Amino acid sequence: MNSIARTETGNLLERNHCVVRLPLGLLGFERCKSFTLFARPEEEPFLWLQAVGNPKLAFLVMSPFIAVPDYLPAIPEEDAQFLGLEGPEDALIINIVTVRAGRQATINLKGPIVLNRRTLKAKQVIPLNASELSVAHPLPIRSR
Amino acid sequence: MLILTRKLNESIVIDGRITVKVVRIDGEVIKLGITAPADVPVHRQEVYEEIRQSNEAAATTRLGPVPKLSTPTAQPSGCAGTPSAGRNAAGQTLTWRSEPKTNANQTKPRIV
Repeated sequence: MNSIARTETGNLLERNHCVVRLPLGLLGFERCKSFTLFARPEEEPFLWLQAVGNPKLAFLVMSPFIAVPDYLPAIPEEDAQFLGLEGPEDALIINIVTVRAGRQATINLKGPIVLNRRTLKAKQVIPLNASELSVAHPLPIRSR
Repeated sequence: MLILTRKLNESIVIDGRITVKVVRIDGEVIKLGITAPADVPVHRQEVYEEIRQSNEAAATTRLGPVPKLSTPTAQPSGCAGTPSAGRNAAGQTLTWRSEPKTNANQTKPRIV
């Protein structure tokens, strides 16, 4: 049985930044287990995820639902348990954006970062329906 | 590389805490059941590699500049302390299989 719920892209960053714990790191970056998540108003809807202790390692991220409103990653039960999620309303999802040459950008829908918004524990999750999700979904970029 | 021969329903144990069991053999397809602690990530290699490469391409040493989105549905993320009504039109949705709660320390087989 699937349980589906909606939660707001809430006020996670009330002071514009917070420290997110990724006990398993990001795939390929397993040693970086702590990141600062912060927003700069002029860059909305993007956020930055910057490694604590290594400012030279950062990822541009955003809520996937802005670009793909019907995005529906199926989070494995063991990941929900790992993150201590008692229901979908506890979770916040952000996805990594790749800025490419020629002012193009893509969002990785296959490897969402799921956060427990109460504890700020997070994990880059591979959804059960990953085979249906693009690792490089194009973002609509405004030409100047 | 260590190479071991296993039959259906036989297992191997890694580091005393990870068990890999052959749960089905169907022609060229072999199903493995993996029991491991929650802090041991288990992934299909090709999916892991795809996401690892994407992460490496996305990793940046400097903060910006960022592109401007042209999507008409783009809304403030709400992360800058500017709450506004109606933001949840682009609200967050996810789903997972609901199963009975189990002991957090208990490990369950994952069929991959």
